[in-house]
Parts: sequence; C-alpha cells; structure tokens
Amino acid sequence: MKTTRAVITAAGRDQRTLALQTLVDRDGVAKSVLQVLIEEASRAGIEDICVVVCPGDEAAYKEAAGSYAGRLQFTVQDKPAGYGHAIYCAREFVGNAPFLHMIGDHVYVSSLTQGCAQQVVETAKLHDCSVSGVQATRENLLPYFGVIGGQRIRGSEQLYEIERVTEKPTPTLAEQTLLVPGLRAGHYLGLFGIHLLSPTVMTLLTAAVESAEPGTSVQLSPVLNALASHERYIALEVSGKRYPLDTRYGLLRAQLALGLDGEDREEVLAMLCELLAQRDSGKVGR
Amino acid sequence: MNTSPFVETILSSDPAIRSRSIDQLCAGRSAAQLIQDAEELEAFRHASGNLYDRVRACFFLYSIHRFQIPQRPGLHANSSIPYHGYVHLLGRRFEEAIELFLIAQKQQGPGDGLSSALASAYHALAFQTLADQVRSSVRQVRGNQWMFRVGHPGDQPLRVRPELYAPLTEGAPAPILKESTPVRMDMTHSGWSDIFFLGMDYPEGAKVLNVSIDLAVRGRDQHPRPPVEAYFRVIEEPVVRLTSVDLGVSADITDLAELFDFARDYLGLLKGALIASGLVPPGIEGSGQQLSDLLARLLGNGPGRGIELISCVNGIPKGSRLAVSTNLLASLISVCMRATSQTESVTGTLTEPERRLVAARAILGEWIAGSGGGWQDSGGVWPGIKLITGQPASEGDAEFGLSRGRLLPSHTILDREQVSDETRQKLQDSLILVHGGMAQNVGPILEMVTEKYLLRSEREWNARANTLSILDDILGCLKRGDIKALGAATTRNYLGPIQTIVPWADNLYTTTLIESMQKELGDDFWGFWMLGGMSGGGMGFICDPARKEEAQDHLHRIMNAERQRLQHSLPFAMDPVVYNFAINEHGTRAELLDAGSAPLPAGYYALTVPALLKQSLRDLPAGRRAELDAFGTACRTREEFSGMVQQLFDHMLPRSGGASQGRQQLEALLSENGFDSESHELIRSELKAGRIGLAQNRLPINAEIKDVLPGDVLDGIGSVPAEVVSLGEEALRQGLVGVMSLAAGVGSRWTQGAGVVKALHPFARLGSCHRTFVETHLAKSRQIGTRYGASIPHIFSTSHLTHGAMEALLKSVDNYGYPGPLVLSRGRSIGLRMIPTERDLRFAWEEMPQQVLDVRAQKMRESVRAALIGWAQSMGEGADYTDNLATQCLHPVGHWYELPNFIKNGALADLLEQRPQLKYLMLHNIDTVGADVDPAMLGLHINSGSALSFEVTPRRLEDRGGGLARVDGRVRLVEGLAMPHEEDEFALTYYNSMTTWIDIDLLLQVFGLTRSQLRNAIAVTAGIRQVASRMPTYVTIKDVKKRWGHGQEDVLPVTQFEKLWGDMSALPDVAVSFIAVPRSRGQQLKEQAQLDGWLRDGSAAYVETLCQWE
Repeated sequence: MKTTRAVITAAGRDQRTLALQTLVDRDGVAKSVLQVLIEEASRAGIEDICVVVCPGDEAAYKEAAGSYAGRLQFTVQDKPAGYGHAIYCAREFVGNAPFLHMIGDHVYVSSLTQGCAQQVVETAKLHDCSVSGVQATRENLLPYFGVIGGQRIRGSEQLYEIERVTEKPTPTLAEQTLLVPGLRAGHYLGLFGIHLLSPTVMTLLTAAVESAEPGTSVQLSPVLNALASHERYIALEVSGKRYPLDTRYGLLRAQLALGLDGEDREEVLAMLCELLAQRDSGKVGR
Repeated sequence: MNTSPFVETILSSDPAIRSRSIDQLCAGRSAAQLIQDAEELEAFRHASGNLYDRVRACFFLYSIHRFQIPQRPGLHANSSIPYHGYVHLLGRRFEEAIELFLIAQKQQGPGDGLSSALASAYHALAFQTLADQVRSSVRQVRGNQWMFRVGHPGDQPLRVRPELYAPLTEGAPAPILKESTPVRMDMTHSGWSDIFFLGMDYPEGAKVLNVSIDLAVRGRDQHPRPPVEAYFRVIEEPVVRLTSVDLGVSADITDLAELFDFARDYLGLLKGALIASGLVPPGIEGSGQQLSDLLARLLGNGPGRGIELISCVNGIPKGSRLAVSTNLLASLISVCMRATSQTESVTGTLTEPERRLVAARAILGEWIAGSGGGWQDSGGVWPGIKLITGQPASEGDAEFGLSRGRLLPSHTILDREQVSDETRQKLQDSLILVHGGMAQNVGPILEMVTEKYLLRSEREWNARANTLSILDDILGCLKRGDIKALGAATTRNYLGPIQTIVPWADNLYTTTLIESMQKELGDDFWGFWMLGGMSGGGMGFICDPARKEEAQDHLHRIMNAERQRLQHSLPFAMDPVVYNFAINEHGTRAELLDAGSAPLPAGYYALTVPALLKQSLRDLPAGRRAELDAFGTACRTREEFSGMVQQLFDHMLPRSGGASQGRQQLEALLSENGFDSESHELIRSELKAGRIGLAQNRLPINAEIKDVLPGDVLDGIGSVPAEVVSLGEEALRQGLVGVMSLAAGVGSRWTQGAGVVKALHPFARLGSCHRTFVETHLAKSRQIGTRYGASIPHIFSTSHLTHGAMEALLKSVDNYGYPGPLVLSRGRSIGLRMIPTERDLRFAWEEMPQQVLDVRAQKMRESVRAALIGWAQSMGEGADYTDNLATQCLHPVGHWYELPNFIKNGALADLLEQRPQLKYLMLHNIDTVGADVDPAMLGLHINSGSALSFEVTPRRLEDRGGGLARVDGRVRLVEGLAMPHEEDEFALTYYNSMTTWIDIDLLLQVFGLTRSQLRNAIAVTAGIRQVASRMPTYVTIKDVKKRWGHGQEDVLPVTQFEKLWGDMSALPDVAVSFIAVPRSRGQQLKEQAQLDGWLRDGSAAYVETLCQWE
C-alpha cells in the first residue's frame, strides 16, 4: 500500500496552539512543531499534506509552516465533533486512496536512521495493508491512549495482527481483552499517533459520521476496531518514541528528547548536569 | 513403582478407584501397616506437583492419624509431643511441625498423643494449601491482576466518569449513582457444593439452583424490593466518606492505611469494596503514600474532591443465609466499577462478562477483608433463576494444570421456556421465607464438608451423589410447575443427604418447627428447605398457597414460642422474622439520581444530619448545604421521611432511660446472688496496681515441674482387678454413691460467649433424638442405677446464670423421667466482670503462645486487638463491665465454689437426711459426656482410701490447660494458667479430665466439718472460708458477646476471677489419688467443632452404650 498524502489533525480545541510552538530540532535549528511534523512526513515520501484545523486557525498554521506552507492544504472542522470526525473532514483531500495520518500534538523521535513515519509507510508497502504505529505503554497511561489487542506475527519482533482497538480502556478491560503475549506485565500496545490507513477507513468514518446522534462525537478508535474485522490490519511497534505535548511538561520533554537526539546533545547534557548540580539531592522516585 | 493403595486412589482417573473411601482403604490394616502407609503418603505428598493430590494426601494422613491409628491395639499410650513441634504449629510452620512429630514418632514409636499432633498438623496444612490456591486463583483472574501492580497514586489508571461530576439539576450537588441488588436464595443446596475447594476439584459435582430475590419483612415493609443498595458520589472534600446506614456508622477517612484496617470500625465491607474494585488498589497497601494524592488522580482536576460510598441493606438481619453480605459487597463493587468506567454502561443492568468480574472481585474483597463465602453467593448480581455449575479448567485458564476446575462457575439463566411465569408465581405463592433468629458460626461446618469430600467416606460420598439427583428432580419440578413435588424434594434433601454429610446442619429448633408445621397444615405442608450452611437462621417452608397466610401466622407464632422456650439452650441473636419475597428478574441494576431530591435512604440522613446541624451553615461546603435544603423539603413533603424530625431530635438528645433500667436490673441481680462488693473492690485495686493479673497466675519460676512416675497413677485403662470392681458394685447396690454434674457455667467457648446454658444445649442426636447434656448424664445414671438396682442421686450445681433455666427445663420435661433424687444445688457466689487492663490483654495476646492465623485473618485479628485495647482504655481499665445485658455482666467465680456451695446452701444436708448411707460422690464437668458411675473406677477410689481421686487421661495435642505433674516432688494437678513455662506442660503425660471421686466424710474433714455440723451455718461458712483462703485465685480473660442492631454481635474481652477445683489436689493435708482413664471416658467437649470428630471416632457410639433413655 503506497501513498504520497498525509493528514495531520490539529483541530482539538485544547490543543490548537500546540503545533504552533517552537522547538529546536535535532539539526539545531528552531522550528515550529508543525514544521518538525512536515519534515517527518517528507522523510516518509509524503508530498501533499492536509492539516485539519479549527475555524480561523489557517493563517497561524500557514505562518508556522514557514517555507513548507506551499505544500499544505487546510480543512476546517467547524465544530468539535470528535477526532474521527476531524479526519473525516479531509475526505475530499484523501479521495479513494490510502493516506498517512499523524496527530498534530505529538513529536516523534526515531531510534533508527529511518523516521518513525517512514517505518510505518514502509511496513504498509511491504504488507499491503493498513498499519498503525504502536508503542508498549504502561497501564497507568491507559487513560491517555487508544490501545490495540492482537497477536504477534510469527517471525517478526515488531509486527502484530490487530484484533481489536479500544480507546482509553480501563486496566480491567485492557487485562481482559488487550493483553498481547510477549509484553512485560502491565504493558499494552498504545497507539503511537501515526497510521497508514486504507480507503476503507474513510468509508467507515463516513458511515460513523452519518449514523452519529446529533451532538455526539465520532472517535477514530471504534472505526479502527471495525477496520480490524473488515480487512487485514497490522501494528508496527515503532523503533522510536512519541512525545505528547498536551501533558504536563510535555513540551519540555519533547524539546529535551529532540536535543538529546541531535547534534547539540553535548550542550543539552551539560545544561542538564548543571541544573542537577544546583539542586539538593531530592526524593528520587517519589 | 509406587503400589500404595492410598496413592493409587489419589492418582487414579477411574472414578471407581479415585472415589474409594479412606475407611475402605484402612479396613483390616494394623497400626504398623498404617504407619507404613502414612510414610508412603508423606513421600508422595512431597514428590507430587499437583495441588489437589497433595491436599488429598494430607487429608488421608490426617484421617489415618485422627481416626484410624488411635483405634488400633498395641499403641504406645504415653507418647510425648515435642513442644517445639507445637510451637511450629502455632506459627503455621506446618511442614516443620510435621517433621519434628515424625522424628518423635520414629524415636518413641507410634502413640495416641503423637498421632493427635500429626492429625492436627496435616489438617491445618491441607486447609492452608487450599486457601492459598483460592487466593492465588482470585489474583490471577484477568481484570484483577493489575490492581496488585499499582503501588503509587501516579500509577492509578482509573478515573471517575465525567457524568458523576455534573449535577442533574442546577445548584444541586453532584449526582448519586445507586446500585440496587437482590439477594440470592439457594434452592438445591447440593451438599455445600459451592465451597470453592469442591468446585475446583470436582467441577462436575458442583451445581446449585440459585434464585435472585427481593425481600420485605412481613408486617414492616409494604412490598418486596431489592434489599441491598449501594450509593456512590463525588463530594467536595478530599476524603473517602464511608457510611453504613444499617450499622449506623459513618467515617471520613483521610489516611490510606486506615482503608486497609478492616476491624477498626464496622466499615470493613465498604473498605473491601473500594479495594477490590481497584479504586484503592490492593497493591498500594503499606506504600506510605497519601490518600489525597490517590483521590486527586482518581478524580482528576487536582486536589479538593473526594468520594462517598454508602451501603444499606434495609434492615435485613445478619445470618439470613441469603448471602446478604456477599451481595452487598458485590453491589458496592459494581457501583464503584460503574463509577470508574469499568463497565460499559453507567446505569442499567450488567453484561455477563461484567457480572463475572463483579463476582470474582467479590471473592477478592472477601479475601482482603478476611471474610468468606461460597461461589454462588454473589448470585444476586444475576437475574432470575439460574443454574450455577462448576467448570473444568481448560488451557488458558489460570487454574489449568493446578486444579481440575475453575475458581468461578458458570451461570445459566433459566428462561420462560424452562420455568414459566406461572411456575415462578406459584413458587412465590407457596414459599414462606423466614429468619429463625439463631446465630451460628458456619465455618466449622464448611471445614467438615471439605474434609469429608476429600476423604470420600462411603455414606457421605453416596449422599453427595444423591444431592445431585435431587437437583435434577428439583429442576424437573420447576419445568413441570409442580411446587408440591419440589417441596418433597427439598425436604428429602434436608432429611437425607444434607444430614448424612453434616448432621450438625440440623438442630432441635428446626426439627420442632418442621414437626409443628406438619401437624398444623397436614398434607398442605409441602416441604422444608434449608438456606445456606446450616438451619436455624434463614429457612424456607413450602405450603399450599391457599393456606400461606395462615401458615405464615402459625410459623411466626411457633418460632417466637420456641425461641422463648429454647432461649437458654440455643444461641439466638434476634427475634424470628417472616419475609415476603419476589423473584428479581433483573439482577443488579443502577440508576443516576438527582442529589437535589434527597434520594438517599432516610436512615442515612438520620445518621449524618445531626452532625451537620451542629456546625455553622457557613462552614459547610455548598454541596452539603444544598443537601440539607433538599432534606428539609423532603421531611415536609415525603411520606417515608415522616417522623424524621422526631428521630433527629432523639438522636441529638438521647434518652438515658434504657441504660439506667439495665443498671438497676444488674444491681438487683448482684444483691440477690450474694455479690461481695468489698472483695470486688479489693480485687479491683490489686488488679489496677498490678499485684494480680494473668502473669501473676503462674507458679514461681523456680518451681520444679516434672512428669509423674509410674506408681503415681492408678491404672483405670487396663483391666481393673475383679475384687476392686466388686467394691464399687457393692457400693452401688447399697446406694452409697451420688453424681454431681457441674452446670453453673455458660460454656464461653461452646457458643463463643453467647451466654446460653451449656448444660441445656441439645448438642447431638443420641438414641435418634436431640439430647441435652443434662439428659445424657441422667441417662447414664439411669442405666447404672437400673443395673445395680439402686437409684442414684444426681445433683446439678447451678449458678445465677443457669439456675432458673435449668429449673424451668427440668420441670417442663418432668426431670426427663429420672427415677432417683434430682437436686439442683444453687450457687451463691457471683462476680462482676471488669474491663481488662491493657497489661493483661497484651499478656494474653502477645506473651502467651498463640495460633498464628493465615496472613489475612492474622492481619484482621491484629487490627481487632488493637481496637479492643483502645476500647479497654477508653472504658477504663479495671472498671466494672456493665454495658451489656445484666446477665452478660456477671460471671461465676470458678468451679471450686460449686462443691462448697452444695454444703453451704443446705442441699447436701437435705440429701444426707434423705439418704444417710450416701458416702461417695462422682463430680464431673458437664461436658465430660463419657463419664459414668463405673464400678471399676469407684472401686479404685474406695480401695485407695483417699478423700479425692481425680481421673486423668493420656494427653493429646488439643488437651491444653495443665495436667498431672510432680511439682517440687509432690504429685498434683496444675492448671494451665499456673504453668510457669509453657513447655513444661508438654512433658506431662496426663491431662485432667476433672472427674473426681469424693469421699464425703473425708472431704468434710478438710473443711473442718462433720455430717452433724452441716446445718450449722456459722461452722460451714467458717470452714469454707478457711479452705477458700488456701486456694489460689486466677485472673482470666473471657469473651463476652454483645448483641445489637439486626442480629449484629460484638465479641469483647472481659476480666473475671476464679478458683479452680483441681487445686484441691495441692492441699498437703488431703489424701489424693489419681486414676488414669481411657480417652472415651475422660474426653471433654469444649467446642462444637469437636462434635463431628467425636461422632466419627466412635466416642458418640460409646456414650450411647452408657445411656438408658427415658
């Protein structure tokens, strides 16, 4: 499954400014989060990108995209109707083709030479099916993520056949239905925020939006869950880390991750050591 | 290859071999062969990796040592039990204990005492292994495991649902989530097959029919409704507020550790629910973390909020056998799970996987909070009528490879095709549900059932198979709609297999009720069924619907009358109750309520509003103020809140009338019974000053305590020479002998302080009827009297606690037709119980060797003890104990006084006038049921020429509390309380049976009296006082029950004082002998849990041979 198109969602009412923040990237250059994401997509061979935004945010996003602005299209989600609905807003841009989807409030740092999105895209190409990036996630973080349940694909260390997807499961439900053999106790495969999705997803999303009661929101996880029963759908345990920006100190963490992964690593380390040395020994682990 | 038939039985997959009974296996084998078998089983037990194989081997070993070896001839009677093995046993180090006992067995040869120690260790090890397995399975249930990993508030993955923050109407506090849950009624019982161990080893035999029902107390409630309610809400204070409406307790908890302290208050069940539902994950116990941090995580949006959990069972009394507490726990767990998105829907019913998880968590909660039930108990979570069956463990189950069955059974709900609406209605129209009012501990019964199941004794095993066919019959009756036949089947079940497996499930009260219903209704009485573990509490009576009203009235009447008649014989906790009921077709359900409409039970407001009213309104959080407003409106407008104002008023200004009335009654009793307030005050001051106490009971530390030498004891175990026997026979023929049974006590251990008269307890079926201790002793005297052509005078010593009840009962049964003189010798000594000192409580609980309980139960016990020490301090150490029924505040002052009282109250003088030839008395404890006026023992006594001959019996492990010893060279009995070193007792071969042969004239000499002086009150008093002053006074701690609410009970420790009869053997100027007697004669029945072993080891049959019933 191949694609050159990507959809980035940035229409969450609480997260609308996160992609506009500035970070110093691995190359030492200050960029907006949006630029970092566009470059991540580009490394994966993406040419056209659609950003789903809140009404009135196009200008700010265009500015944040800098020199990439010309490659972007914008789609507006008029009202907060759910994450699934936001992707559905990009249906015309996507057409009847596969597409890469990334969320606008995460920063991804790969531990390979390939980028995180690139790993997902190449897996989809190889297996010719939808692929979601996943990461082993401790159960205390379950309230923040969609989680997949499935079986490891024989002969592969990082690939899983997805059987079900549940949004923010309770640990009780996760333990009953989402345990994946091979993971450490109390760990589940949480969605990474990067997916390469087949056109079926847009069909399922359309059906979900059309059947939704007025005033309710449409989420992506139930649609991905339905996708698993429609066609082959696999998960890739991405070699890399995702850094959600909407958590406490999320932006700081993302910045440190980028800094420690790039050419200014020594400088960032020295800065951290200096900060540590100025502090009394604290309650480590508390 | 191992060829032991025992091992073969355990390992065989052929049911015919696997189900061979232990009796069958042991038949015809000698003691030496059995020891060899036991060695093979022991080796097999260690080598086997399978849990149930090991457990069954343990039970076989237990049975061999408890029932088989002691009955084989040629056993070493005087084996001594290594003290260190006993210490291991107390510390639950069972393997180490067994090892030491086996070494001793190798060195000394097999012996009765050692076998008793081994039996005890194997029994405990088997139950410990089973309990460990259930616990481990509960933890391994998917959906429960994560809770044990969460050790820090930051790891808590649960969040309270957003719907629970938003008020349903403007200005109202956060909404209230209410869960309503029916209770469960067990129709088939199936031989207690819902015990976890049974279901896990024999899933195909674990089956019950279980019905979810709503209840109403007849005459109190209008309509049946789900009796169990649980409420959850978010509050504006960062605390966990727990409220039990029925128990009248509410607490704001701010400390995480307090949530794990289950015995601190009456809120253990609510705490258990919070933990088992994962809101306070069990893994966080002992983490030292803050509850406020956990709440902040759970409730999001930073600190400042808390949760409130409320339970209510609408006044359904404890002991209803309808699994009220398990269903309440399940209801609380369910509401907590709904509140944190662990169920699909916040309201309505649950899905099947959710019900199963709630049931699994209820088991977890019961384990955590130290209680326990069967696997069908959370049946109220499911709707309607369901067949619950054990399930074989298969690959993928946590139990696979460990046990044959799964921990959790499966539930098949019977639909309208299987049981029509008409049948359901008929069942409701025919069945009368009652609570008979008795409160009993079912625990020992469940242990007996498990043991018998694993031993596969033939009768019991057949009975178990029979219960399964009765279940099929009952199912058939339901499908056909034939309730009359159903009644016949449940009756057959109760009278047949249930009582074959455990005879103690029945009692005199139940038998009387059934007979009365049969008599009253004739053919219209269709049947009886026992609810739960034993009868006397929750029970069902089935009758023709046309006569139901009349039958309900009759039953209520007869239950009250019988309760009145038997109140001193059986432990009743409350007045009997008749219920109305309806089948609940929904199972547990939830709804979201507007807090602005005062939707909580009226009792909740009665409990919480007084405290709020005492505060300034301005200091209350806005939510509380809004709630008070809503409550005020409800009081003015809603019928169920009428009378609330008066209730609040009474709550805030409690009346003191009740207490002062109780005090007056107590004072009257004290003065009637010759209470000596002067010596009471003296004892109090000595106690408070630390001059007397548990530690001071002991003999001096340098006292030399040695076992007796061979010539110190007369042999009553082997054959007694004919000429000695004929001395006794001649004395009997001449009417020289009387019997004195000590019946002044209430048997604290027998009913755990329930205060019934032990002598009047119909403790066993002998000669096909329930017999009291009194009747049994009279039957023995009757038989001996008949044999020797003489009527034997029988004296029962009584006290203020027992005299009235004994007199009334004996009158009502016309002295059981006893032909000889029957005398009640009323005690005139009485003590007033005191609040114990912390010093004595600590000595009893910390210094004395204690049986360590399993880990959770031990934790619970420590928590209870800490609370009791706090109680003692707050009540005032050494203060009079008066906060109970007057009779529960008094105590008899020890059995030493019973014989002096017999002299003092003139009864001896009367008897001697009536029967001047009377020369000997056999004095014995009320529970020494094997003691009779055996001419051989009497001959030994006469031949010895002693004033007193004490009967002693070879010691077994359970015989604790002193024994026969050489103390500084003198042979005497030593009380356990007086032993300076615990281990000294283990060197003593003989235990005191308390049965004493008395030469009346020689005894009177000890008191400085002669027969002619018996009417001289001054001489008698002086003589008794003089001897009393030479007797040591022991301080003891006893348990006393305090009953309150709807069948609730507290057990409290109290201090009392006593002088003990055995110390007469220490007086240097009294000629004393000791006679060794067989165990069947000397054994005492101290606890009801002993009864089953007593029946099975042939002791009961032996007693029957001694008796001649009226």
